[in-house]
Amino acid sequence: MFDYEFMQRAFWAGGFIGIIAPILGVYLMLRRQALIADTLSHVSLAGVALGSVLQFNPVISGFVVAIAGGLIIERLRRTYLTYSEVPVAIIMTSGLALAVVLMSLESNLNKSFSSYLFGSIVAVSKQQLWMIGIVALLGLLFFILFRRPLYNLTFDEETARIGGVHVKWLSFSFSVLTGMTVASAIPIVGVLLVSSLMVLPAALALKIARGFLSAIIIAVITGLVGIFSGLTTSYYMNTPPGGTISLILLVFFITSFVIRKLLLRKQRRSRIARSS
Amino acid sequence: MILSSMRNVVFGYGNEPVVENISLDIYAGEFLGITGPNGAAKTTILKLLLGLLKPWNGTVEINQNALDGAKPVIGYVPQQVASFNSGFPSKVIELVRSGCYSRLGLFRRFSAEQEAIVEKSLKQVGMWEYRNSRIGELSGGQKQRICIARALAQQPNVLILDEPTTGMDHQSRIGFYELMKHYVDVHRMTVVMVTHGLEETNSYLDRVISLERKESEEWKCLTTSLCSVRFGPEVS
Repeated sequence: MFDYEFMQRAFWAGGFIGIIAPILGVYLMLRRQALIADTLSHVSLAGVALGSVLQFNPVISGFVVAIAGGLIIERLRRTYLTYSEVPVAIIMTSGLALAVVLMSLESNLNKSFSSYLFGSIVAVSKQQLWMIGIVALLGLLFFILFRRPLYNLTFDEETARIGGVHVKWLSFSFSVLTGMTVASAIPIVGVLLVSSLMVLPAALALKIARGFLSAIIIAVITGLVGIFSGLTTSYYMNTPPGGTISLILLVFFITSFVIRKLLLRKQRRSRIARSS
Repeated sequence: MILSSMRNVVFGYGNEPVVENISLDIYAGEFLGITGPNGAAKTTILKLLLGLLKPWNGTVEINQNALDGAKPVIGYVPQQVASFNSGFPSKVIELVRSGCYSRLGLFRRFSAEQEAIVEKSLKQVGMWEYRNSRIGELSGGQKQRICIARALAQQPNVLILDEPTTGMDHQSRIGFYELMKHYVDVHRMTVVMVTHGLEETNSYLDRVISLERKESEEWKCLTTSLCSVRFGPEVS
């Protein structure tokens, strides 16, 4: 499998995304922004289509538009404080509508439509691999440098602000990073499933971790194992990588859920037995 | 000495003002209670004092000289903050340690002194035994206590508390008022607390601002004339 250069690139790209996407997912879920990844992937698709229509590099235009989408959502979130899902819904539908209309104007793009929607192992070019690597590096630096203010911001924005955290600046930077990560993950998992890379490992980790750092470590391990096993399965079974990775992550999530339930039941029973 | 003064402040949500032309002062080193019925704008006033809300009109100022030139370090415990974050994946000690982050900045490591402050804060609210528990496993009152410990670990010189004893039993509440009184008397901390239980807190507080809502045909808002001071020095 690794004799093929495209598989090497897919694994490198998967490794980078597998580290950064689950970390982002933990923060997004705790900030009640789990749907943002989905929204930005639709916006990024509009950017790809726009690039093709205007004869720009579609990868770069998708990237830039996803970042802009992240910033607009953050701005609108501050306007609709009590209904933070409203800007997400507005941007998601606008992004998809724009993408569909622009794609209908560009026949070449229509042909590769499914690879954008569902991802493709062969889709990761050298240029994209560099981009993914740089995004992952920037993301890691961001999370390591700002781990303390991010923790306080995620727990409660108001107390974080009183405690000296630059909430607005940090939230906008976080949105930019989310847009960058989403745009760079699309070649592998596709527009429709990019949020599964963020949400599923984070959802699993938040259920079983006892501390914040352990939640992040569990999410990253789950993400990496899911991506590598998904890519391998996808190669041998000739299935779309996005769907395969997402299904494997879903199996991990359901398995952990069932095991946790069984363990809790066992603990409860032994407690009752001890007390009686 | 006046620590913070609010002058002719007007603020509202949407187009409707809920606070109109209110002026009040907070003195350095006092234990101040703010009380009033639901909807009397108690939390709004706290948020205006903290700078979390910007007044439509009027000014809110902090007098740094009142703290002997020291930068005001404000600890804030919002209403039931921990209950809204039950699923937060954090151990009690991890959360309380985060109170020190504002002093430590991005890179400085925890010193032995800082660790001792975290331990002391947790012991003072009676939660040291629970330091390795996950937040979600605690009761409402216990969650409230660890949020108070987190604010204390920040080593504030001003502590702003919005109904901090919600969910606590009688004994814990009394222990908490005594602790706050100790910080005011011994450490010269300024404590501002929104409370409903005046009969319990009267003997601990230096001053109470009692808020009532004016209801007329035109306005439904808080004004200075209805902001009465129960005892202690008069506010303007």
